[in-house]
Amino acid sequence: MKKKLLSMLLAAGMVVSLTACGGSADTADGGQQAAPAADSAAEETPAAEDGGAAASGEAVTIKVFSNLPDRTSGQGLVEQTLFDDYMKENPNVTIEVEALDDEAYKTKFKAYASGSQMPDLVNVWGQPGFLDEVMEAGLLAELNMDDYADYNFLPGSLDGFSQNGKLYGLSRNTDVMCFYYNQKIFEDNGWEVPKTYEELLELGEKVRAAGLQPVSMFGGDKWSLYIYIHDLEEQLDGSGVMAKTNDAIRNHDFSDPTFKQAADLFVESVDRGLFQNGFESNDGGTAKNLFTNGQAAMYYTGSWEMSMVTDQDIPDEIRENIRVFLMPVPEGGKGDATTITAWHGGGYAVTESAANKEEAIKLLNYMFRPEGWTRIAWENGVCMSAQNFGDFATGSETEVQKQLMQLVADATDLSGTPLGDLGSSEFKTICEDKSQELAAGKITADDYLKALEAVGQ
Amino acid sequence: MHKTYSNKAVITTLVLPGVLTFVFAILAPICLSVYYGFTDYSGLGAYQFVGIDNYKELFKDSGFWLSVRNSLLLAAGFICIQHPLAILTAVILDRMQGKAEGFFRCVYFLPNVISVAVIAYLWKFIYDPNFGLLNNIIKMFGGEGTTNWLGTGTAIWSVLIVLVWHGFGWGMLIYYTGIKNIDPVLYEAASIDGADNKQIFFRITLPLMKPVIQINVTLAIISALKQMETVYLLTNGGPGNETQFLANYLYKQAFQSFRYGYGNAISVIFVLICICATGLLNIVFPKEKEA
Repeated sequence: MKKKLLSMLLAAGMVVSLTACGGSADTADGGQQAAPAADSAAEETPAAEDGGAAASGEAVTIKVFSNLPDRTSGQGLVEQTLFDDYMKENPNVTIEVEALDDEAYKTKFKAYASGSQMPDLVNVWGQPGFLDEVMEAGLLAELNMDDYADYNFLPGSLDGFSQNGKLYGLSRNTDVMCFYYNQKIFEDNGWEVPKTYEELLELGEKVRAAGLQPVSMFGGDKWSLYIYIHDLEEQLDGSGVMAKTNDAIRNHDFSDPTFKQAADLFVESVDRGLFQNGFESNDGGTAKNLFTNGQAAMYYTGSWEMSMVTDQDIPDEIRENIRVFLMPVPEGGKGDATTITAWHGGGYAVTESAANKEEAIKLLNYMFRPEGWTRIAWENGVCMSAQNFGDFATGSETEVQKQLMQLVADATDLSGTPLGDLGSSEFKTICEDKSQELAAGKITADDYLKALEAVGQ
Repeated sequence: MHKTYSNKAVITTLVLPGVLTFVFAILAPICLSVYYGFTDYSGLGAYQFVGIDNYKELFKDSGFWLSVRNSLLLAAGFICIQHPLAILTAVILDRMQGKAEGFFRCVYFLPNVISVAVIAYLWKFIYDPNFGLLNNIIKMFGGEGTTNWLGTGTAIWSVLIVLVWHGFGWGMLIYYTGIKNIDPVLYEAASIDGADNKQIFFRITLPLMKPVIQINVTLAIISALKQMETVYLLTNGGPGNETQFLANYLYKQAFQSFRYGYGNAISVIFVLICICATGLLNIVFPKEKEA
């Protein structure tokens, strides 16, 4: 009897431990991802309280949750510099940073959001797919719009961070999509910057004939694909495609010819070999390497990569020759040089449940005073902020910086948030998958649009 | 001593930590999963009960079926390719003796020691269509060498090769230990009776390895169903959902699409599949009669 009972217990244990492998897979993996980054975050946590003894006010610890795990270069360095400066000026304040990569960040953000205590200052994306739910759930503290009257935020840059006329976050960057190209390779081969989309396709064929990859792209990180399609839509439409896309998502109706034309053009570009072999599965690092090693003549990505020019790891003869051009207008398109695919994505918000809400808002305001984020990011060639960075032009910028600054200054029409980020998270994943299937030739442009229409129906 | 162990309070204190861990870390999450599987919870804010809508959708979801198919394909790959090879390698290793035995044992086990992230990136580079090792080798032998191995059509096979290769060492090591436990006297007796290598393998080694094979096959099926991290890093299920696996699909639905309720419905089905697999294995490998 005893033996029977024991074996039954063991059997039950086995079944459950087996099923646990399945049931807990999601949480376990989330944890695994978080762990290494959390370690690095711990290392990065500044050795604060140098002047702690001399602190004037009460000791305050502000917890920051960041999506910039690299604290030694790029935007992560800008963020860390600002934190360090703030702690120097306010010795009673300690800032603790926890930083994770985007995907892991979003997962943990969700976990924090379902708990009762969130970190004080968090990164958010001012895009409906991410922020709408968060704002609706009342997780973010309202900011006082008047505080930012003289912060020189670019028109429209805070729209994605607002709901019902209330402001919940501040925007960090202006992201512009562009083709980086290697001027020297172009000159050596007698190629010119394409003025129309057809010229770009022809150029792609010439580059391929010369034994190079034409445009390097990271379709493995699927979102770049729908941004490319969105960029084409913007150039075809010419008057800001965001409102149209919003309507299409809401009404489950992508029958507007712009969508079909853009998808068809994208397929044609793939068929004519505009992108590198295997672009639909290459990740960001691989695509960038192809360009920075001189194996690809062009690289389609965003202005956030402008620090390539100052990156010492890239050979001099390549980085000094990097220039940019925008998506050329397809035949019959209504866009022109002032129509750009640009948006204000990443930013910061203070949480409603923050332990130190007031202090966190003070820190946020300190970061975004014009001589804060904007100046440091611009002077170091890291990115263009969502504020008037032109004020800090020194004349010693890199060529790419100057070009991008001019493009933004001349722009009369910004596309706004790209296609995949305009709907729900579900819309985004389906948009990503279907864009990749379109790129791989697994589905047609019609199937693609039908799949987008079907989301949430 | 005996008295202490029959004291109910002592028994309870000894058993309680295990039972509590089991209840709170395993049983409760599973029950919660079942509960959330009937809701449209997004992971944030309010949610509603949607009955069996999630399950209805699941049965029509091509991505889900594709990932079930791929997981079963992987299990088949493990059983039909990885394990026969692992047994053979273990037998050959056992015959080698001396330094070579230790050396090759290490070499074959090496991929298991390397972190999954490194493995994934290693293979990403090997498979790269532009500068990858594989295409360069093909070019060396006069081929065209422009295949995108992680692209449409070939991706699933490329991923399976990596997974079969990566798990090979574990299987081999367990078989090797099993073979080492076989009494050499049996081999001696067989050779005296005039048995050749083939006969020794099929009549002695294989039958005596049965319990080991049983354990290994069970482990293989579980690991095939659980497969997540390598695929996540290698292709993240792409292109589209072509290389999607169950656990990765679950993760994607719950944490990328933020369809927490739907993700939980998948995990419930996932649990059922695991239970079925266990049941099936118990039928395939009937219990030995107790001696």
